[in-house]
Amino acid sequence: MNPPRLPFASTRRAWLRQSSAGFGAMALHGLLHAAANPLAQRSPMIEPQAKRVILLFMSGGPSQMDLFDPKSLIQQKHGQSVSAPLPEKDKHESTAKLLALGTDIPVRPRGQSGVTISDLMPHTAAIADELCLMRAVHADNNQHGPAALQFHTGAIAEARPSMGSWVSYGLGTENQNLPAFLTIHPGIDTRNYSSSFLPAAHQGTPIILPAKESDPAIDFLTDAATDSATQRRRFDFIQRMNSRLLAQNETDVRMEGMIHSLETAYRMQTATPDLVDLSKETEATKKLYGIGGKTTDKNGRACLLARRLSEAGVRFVQVTMDGWDHHGDIRGALPKSCAATDLPCAGLIRDLKSRGLLDDTLVVWSGEFGRTPWSQDLSGTAPIEKHGREHQPDSFCTWMAGGGVKGGHMHGDTDEFGYRPVSGKVHLHDLHATILHLLGLNHEKLTWRHLGRDYRLTDVYGEVVREILA
Amino acid sequence: MMKIVAFLLIPFAASAAADGDAFFRERVEPILRQRCYECHSHAGKIKGGLVLDSRSGWQSGGESGPALVSGSLEKSLIIKAVHYGTPDLEMPPKAKLPESEIAILEQWVATGAHDPREAVVAVTKKAGIDVEAGRKHWAYQPVREPALPAVRDSSWPLNDVDVFILAKLEGAGVKPNAEADAHTWLRRVTFDLTGLPPTEAEIAAFVTDRSPQSHERVVDRLLESRAYGERWARHWLDLVGYAEQIGTEGKIFAEHAWRYRDYLVDAFQTDKPFDRFIREQIAGDLLPAASPQERRTNLIATGFIVLGDVDINAIDKLKMEYDFVDSQVSKVGTAFLGMTLGCVRCHDHKFDAIGQQDYYALAGMFRSTKTTFKTRHGIWSNVNRVALPELEEDRAVAAKHEQKLADWRKEKEMLEADLTALGDKADDAAKKRREELTAQVKTLELRIAHGEYFNPGKPQAIAVQDAEKPADMRVTIRGNPYALGDTIPRGLVRVAMWGPQPKIPAGQSGRLQLADWIADARNPLTARVAVNRVWQKLFGEGLVRSVDYFGTRGDTPSHPELLDHLALRFMRDGWSQKRLIRTLVLSRTYRLSSGRGAEAASDPENKLLSHMNRQRLDAESIRDAMLVASGRLVAPSGGPGLPLEFPENITGLPIAAKSNHPQFAIKNERESQAFERTLYLPVVRTGTQPGTARLRDVFDFPQPAQFTGKRNETTVPTQSLYLLNADLIRQRGEDLAKALLATQGSDLDRIGRLWLRVLNRPVATAEQEDALAFLQASRAAGEAHAWTELARTLFGTNEFLLRF
Repeated sequence: MNPPRLPFASTRRAWLRQSSAGFGAMALHGLLHAAANPLAQRSPMIEPQAKRVILLFMSGGPSQMDLFDPKSLIQQKHGQSVSAPLPEKDKHESTAKLLALGTDIPVRPRGQSGVTISDLMPHTAAIADELCLMRAVHADNNQHGPAALQFHTGAIAEARPSMGSWVSYGLGTENQNLPAFLTIHPGIDTRNYSSSFLPAAHQGTPIILPAKESDPAIDFLTDAATDSATQRRRFDFIQRMNSRLLAQNETDVRMEGMIHSLETAYRMQTATPDLVDLSKETEATKKLYGIGGKTTDKNGRACLLARRLSEAGVRFVQVTMDGWDHHGDIRGALPKSCAATDLPCAGLIRDLKSRGLLDDTLVVWSGEFGRTPWSQDLSGTAPIEKHGREHQPDSFCTWMAGGGVKGGHMHGDTDEFGYRPVSGKVHLHDLHATILHLLGLNHEKLTWRHLGRDYRLTDVYGEVVREILA
Repeated sequence: MMKIVAFLLIPFAASAAADGDAFFRERVEPILRQRCYECHSHAGKIKGGLVLDSRSGWQSGGESGPALVSGSLEKSLIIKAVHYGTPDLEMPPKAKLPESEIAILEQWVATGAHDPREAVVAVTKKAGIDVEAGRKHWAYQPVREPALPAVRDSSWPLNDVDVFILAKLEGAGVKPNAEADAHTWLRRVTFDLTGLPPTEAEIAAFVTDRSPQSHERVVDRLLESRAYGERWARHWLDLVGYAEQIGTEGKIFAEHAWRYRDYLVDAFQTDKPFDRFIREQIAGDLLPAASPQERRTNLIATGFIVLGDVDINAIDKLKMEYDFVDSQVSKVGTAFLGMTLGCVRCHDHKFDAIGQQDYYALAGMFRSTKTTFKTRHGIWSNVNRVALPELEEDRAVAAKHEQKLADWRKEKEMLEADLTALGDKADDAAKKRREELTAQVKTLELRIAHGEYFNPGKPQAIAVQDAEKPADMRVTIRGNPYALGDTIPRGLVRVAMWGPQPKIPAGQSGRLQLADWIADARNPLTARVAVNRVWQKLFGEGLVRSVDYFGTRGDTPSHPELLDHLALRFMRDGWSQKRLIRTLVLSRTYRLSSGRGAEAASDPENKLLSHMNRQRLDAESIRDAMLVASGRLVAPSGGPGLPLEFPENITGLPIAAKSNHPQFAIKNERESQAFERTLYLPVVRTGTQPGTARLRDVFDFPQPAQFTGKRNETTVPTQSLYLLNADLIRQRGEDLAKALLATQGSDLDRIGRLWLRVLNRPVATAEQEDALAFLQASRAAGEAHAWTELARTLFGTNEFLLRF
């Protein structure tokens, strides 16, 4: 695909020449000052395996034993009390009975590789040989807020830069019309896509796909009440004021940056609506993602948009899909969550592959934590078949596909309950280190000095999971 | 004990004691080599400071202390770690060892941990921190009165500040800029002191004032204004993590938080002495009070401690409480002392002479302070509330409120009686009447539940109290509240002390002693940190640029003598911030123009202050300035930010049997809120900021989880998009256009007024032509539209967004 067309001139220099204000030579020189552009492309530190990331965040905590990590013990003991090594501090009334909750839909080995996937995800099962399934991922907090924050930033309680912000800071953007980090349908906690102490240019820009085609997908992207001539008039007037001011002064990097930024904004305003317009995709492609399907449409459109943005050179695109927080009646609710996400996610992998993009695009699928092998019953009176599962950060499943990871591979095992990892443990810090590594960034060297200390995405932790590298 | 019995049954045990060497070499060392050396040996990494490749390595141990205690399975961290029984203390990290290997390690430890290996390399264990050596750092040295330096050009300085600045400039051979013009200075000082632009009348008064006191007159007027208190209250809130939402799970309101915000406005406006300000915020609840009003103030002030980010839904309450204590220690360190204390929770400070002993000495005080309580059901907590002493006016309000409630209850009863009277009549009229009555009853029920929950006659504050049983705290290993080390007596940070540790009276937390130490004129940090913060707000950068961190890795002061001069002067002047500010803004240095002269090339960061630093207006000033320019700013307000008086803005009332908190969902705003100063709009922690406060999200408003003395200033396309397209900009443009069109005069007159209102200076000739042409091109849709377009567009210019 061609990069989005620049709205009014092929290069900034050309625009400056045709700008009626007529910048002085000094102002022109200043405008091209690199310091004014924090998103300039930067070289990776080591040989990268992937150029970009699509993160599929399953918000709420998908149940790993029902989807990827079957446990015979809980099948056999279904409805009976188990003696799990659950620390006293983590017990509470609705889970105190520790009743094993079996899985009613089979999880089976798939494809050539035998990666285990539930019947609830037939489309994902069909691409099993592309997936690198980690079954002993773990994190440190059992509540959504802190856990999601740790998933995105590595920290539980503080506001630190998000993964996408670190990637943006490390690599810059390939597409100067767009920020390097876009997040589709993010949840309400803005800390999850915040750049925190990193420059705000690295902040995630949220995109909400509008219910109505006419609504803007990015906040303030357009002024619906105004025609393009008026918008152009405003833009030109501001830039004339700005250039007169700049001409009265010696070089001022900040003012140059503001001029540059206004220019990018104007290009975004013009180029982005095209990019987020999915109507130009073929019917076959739309079908691949489940667009138009009753349950799959929203996530399908989000995944297709993620592909378009990735293709256009956005470094880090996140798609959040919620609805995985199954505290009650998990047998009734889990199939719905799977139905809404299975085809869109698998369609994305297929589409990337057929376009040759999967080789250098890393796709990551994960929740912020998993769920307990024993049941949770909030009412205290429901039959076991109607129980759900409580949060569990001690072990859960994450898969990756594409750029630089082994396809058709499983890594890590959990104990007989599916509660604690026994081998191949991957902490979220390790996951972060590995994602950065695949992009050609050394997680110990990607640092930012803040309050006298060098901060990293992985804090003082994290090891690259070498076993899963292709 | 069970474990010891178990391993004794292993046959190998008998020979182990007899042949310790062989046992170690054959059984233990291979495990260490294979499982541990990668991260804990000289050949691999030395994580956590621990090496296991020699006997002395595990004997001296790492950051968490000795790795094993020979003969004791219970006391040996290595055994704890391999059992995976303690979260955060699980080794090897990737996977638990096979049981057989654990048994071997246990046997080895229990039988005396015989280890024949001598250290290959001398183990250089960090020998704790050296407080005495640490005191040599400039910031921990006592503040000393510097001599006034000599300057060649004695006509240049207007006051002592200028003498210090000029001495350095002359020393470096750099000539300062000329003074900024009158319009620029007035705009600068008005924004800096009040966060607002000067009005047309204020501009006219100043530029025509020929008296030598014209600057003083402006400064005194600004310092007297409520707007000054509002501006500086907001600066302080940045250090507090203030929001009107508790935690980030759900939308739990902090309905009394505003009292602390208003306390700050009062404190700054009345120029409360800064030492008193410190004492009230850290230990107001422990201070004597002469009146109920003073007692209220003291209690409200402690909101400082508790109004930060805390996640209140947690199963593990101990962990939650320890995390909150950590954020309180960090906040006190950052706000008052310029110290980063958060990292000392897990290990001695890497760069500064601050040890875990110091951290837990402070942490014990906050652990001994009541800051949260568990709610009735489930896993939720809430932050502590304190009933405020009632004043006369509260009783009147309470009585009125009770009356209102009583009226509603009565009204409801009557409606219910009507309903009953309808009986089971099924004709259309009865049906309709029944529906009406039911709806009215429901509305009243909600109103009553709301009125019972929010009782304005029973004033409360989010504040702290001492815990029932104050106690010293134990060190936690890597911040894990279940892995405990030594008990640390409560006390102060040694590196910044000048005398012995204070005596903490039995039954008290120690916060009063902490407050006394911080607010003491001998504290080397407090006054320096405080005056440096003020300097930074006025000059764009601090004399110490790392305003929140005065430690060894921070910046050193550009003008150390000036910093000490100001610190001493500040304390001598009764810790008066207004007197400090008055001195600074009446200096020549503050009057300099901001354009950088050619000579500034030798000082690219402007550390010598040869010219004024430009600053981007902060989010509050951008929004407030548009309100002033368009004449829509409403009089100073205050009070609750969240419009919780609308029952429809609350979900979860009346509180159902097994639920906990009602939550807010802002569907309605007060009409005035679009026109109040941004300070008074609610601050939320999750989701976009409500209403017109949305602008905060775009212009670098700090996340309320952070404590920051200096905001990031960023330039991103989102800001430009906002200025081009947001409704708020259009609305203020419309208001401004309407105000202009209501005045008499030609287009040029109006353009002149527009420039004065938005850019606070007269319009230039080239701009007049440009503006006329712009108006002409925009007139097709009418006069009001054309002026709106011009006004809103001016809000998008760099000149409006910057203060020069």
